[in-house]
Amino acid sequence: MTDRTTAPPELAVTDVTVRFAGLTALDAVSFTVTPGSVHALIGPNGAGKSTCFNVLSGLCRPAAGTVRLGDADLTRLAPHRIAALGVARTFQNIVTTQGTVADNLMLGRHALSRSGFAASALRLPQARREQREHLDRAREIAELTGLAQHFDHPVALLSYGDRKRVEFARALCLEPSVLLLDEPVAGMNAAERARTVEVVHTVRAELGLSVVLVEHDMGLVMRLADEVTVLDFGRRIAHGTPDEVRSDPEVLRAYLGTGAEQEDAA
Amino acid sequence: MSERLPRARAIRLGWTLAAVAVLCALPFYLDAFWLRIGLFSMAAAVGAVGLGLLSGTAGQLSLGHAFFLAMGAYGYVWLAGEPGPGLPTAVAAVLAVLLAGAAGGIFSPVAGRVRGIYLGVATLALVFLGHHVLLTADSVTGGFNGRSVPPLELGGFSFSTDSELTLLGVPFGAEERLWYLGLALFAVTWFTARGLLHGRPGRALVALRDSETAAAVMGVNVSRYRSAAFVVSSMYAGLAGVMLALSFRRVVPDYFGLVLSVDYLAMIVIGGLGSVAGATAGAVFVTALPLLMTRYADQLPLVAAPGTTDGTVGPTEAARYLYGAAIVLILLFAPDGLHGLVRRLRARLRGRRAAPPPAGTTSPSRPPTSAVRAKEPTP
Repeated sequence: MTDRTTAPPELAVTDVTVRFAGLTALDAVSFTVTPGSVHALIGPNGAGKSTCFNVLSGLCRPAAGTVRLGDADLTRLAPHRIAALGVARTFQNIVTTQGTVADNLMLGRHALSRSGFAASALRLPQARREQREHLDRAREIAELTGLAQHFDHPVALLSYGDRKRVEFARALCLEPSVLLLDEPVAGMNAAERARTVEVVHTVRAELGLSVVLVEHDMGLVMRLADEVTVLDFGRRIAHGTPDEVRSDPEVLRAYLGTGAEQEDAA
Repeated sequence: MSERLPRARAIRLGWTLAAVAVLCALPFYLDAFWLRIGLFSMAAAVGAVGLGLLSGTAGQLSLGHAFFLAMGAYGYVWLAGEPGPGLPTAVAAVLAVLLAGAAGGIFSPVAGRVRGIYLGVATLALVFLGHHVLLTADSVTGGFNGRSVPPLELGGFSFSTDSELTLLGVPFGAEERLWYLGLALFAVTWFTARGLLHGRPGRALVALRDSETAAAVMGVNVSRYRSAAFVVSSMYAGLAGVMLALSFRRVVPDYFGLVLSVDYLAMIVIGGLGSVAGATAGAVFVTALPLLMTRYADQLPLVAAPGTTDGTVGPTEAARYLYGAAIVLILLFAPDGLHGLVRRLRARLRGRRAAPPPAGTTSPSRPPTSAVRAKEPTP
């Protein structure tokens, strides 16, 4: 069982550019996630936040720029290799697989376990032992995220908020050093939001990982984040602590429009 | 998945032992007709488990299962027979399974690139190609008339009627002997396939089906697992092919046509996708029903005796109509297959025995899984 008690490596994004047939989704974006911090990525719709996540998790290859995690270069790695290096993510729209919560969490343990087709088919003792150990850890993570009572329930029967939490717990099951959360509280009610914030705080304190967060709920971003990077039309327009970003004129313009535009509209 | 209660486990073990005992006792009571139905069902079940793994669990539509069945059947006949290397039959059987797996491995780069209905069409090509080769490569396959199958011999024991054998007053012919071989091979299939499905590979394959993106970011090597599903499925098909060849005692090209592939797809859909028990139930249903109906259709009203041509429905046609109607009924009323039907009945019984259930909570039935998803939601 991997236990990352040491500080997680630094995630450095340098001059990443992504183009989709003429549209520049990300234009030389750079930011660095300080080990153990919560780094929020905000911006209006279409700013390139999700594209940025897809680059970080290997689903999308940048035209230029690099992504490094500690000493490892993630830029050209396949998604499953990046996952094995300890970068886990959740999705904006829930993407769980069929089966119970336990099945989903055990999928998160995939990169950390060995048993192949032959060992599993023959149910070799070592494969069974491995499965048991990982199941125990998955149960711990379910308890940590408040899913313990649903552990053996089919995911399809859970509420929206619980399913979002399953995704979150599944990402944690990878024992990541960097956790990418894509709108973790979107569509949740106030109580569910509060609970998710609490869980993020807990896992950060207990597991000591870095969190990169995409979220539209500004109140939550300001409360959770240590650092904020603001994107607009694929460019980084601001960077700093939540307070600095809140008063940044560029950010206000991107979110609210300029005075001149407002006059035109009127 | 999780540890079961000891009592539930004991009950389960009891049922399994009872089923095994009944299956082992059957050759002492049934005649050759029924035993042959059983043999074909067991072979089909092994093949269906393989296809279920590929199409039901991993979500890759394959219309080429007949090709891999033929690889197993003809592989065994050629390897064990004359003309051919004339290997010991047990060795030939193992090699035939590996040969089918290798054929799946050779095809798997294609499977890694095409998805959904396109993969279905690509695998369709395999069936036509295979059928053509079976018809034309006379020296290996025997051409249109096929080849007779050398009986399997294990340590001097022949699975044929060559030597006399009587057990407890029951003469043991080829069917009786093959029955136990079939049971053993089916047990191996059941054990290994369930181990796969409930273990790490099974979860990875389910993830591939439900979302390749999610699988990849959870650390599943997508292309490797897609190929592996093909290889494993082909190996089960190869084993089923060997079993079919031994039961038929003659292999002919026309058996391994597109219709056979479609039959296997029907088996896994009727049985319920994604479970070994479902694939088995579907295999028995699809294999046994037409045979039974052909045999007993003349006792139904409005069905003429065989050979009469006075415009009424003959037993063969009646069997086909009934078979078709049964499939439609199952798909209408149990879209999650026989396995889902049993699960719902069981949940209802359990609910009745326990406290009166509130409406709507008794059946945790899942919505039917689509065998193949051509597109997945983009994150």
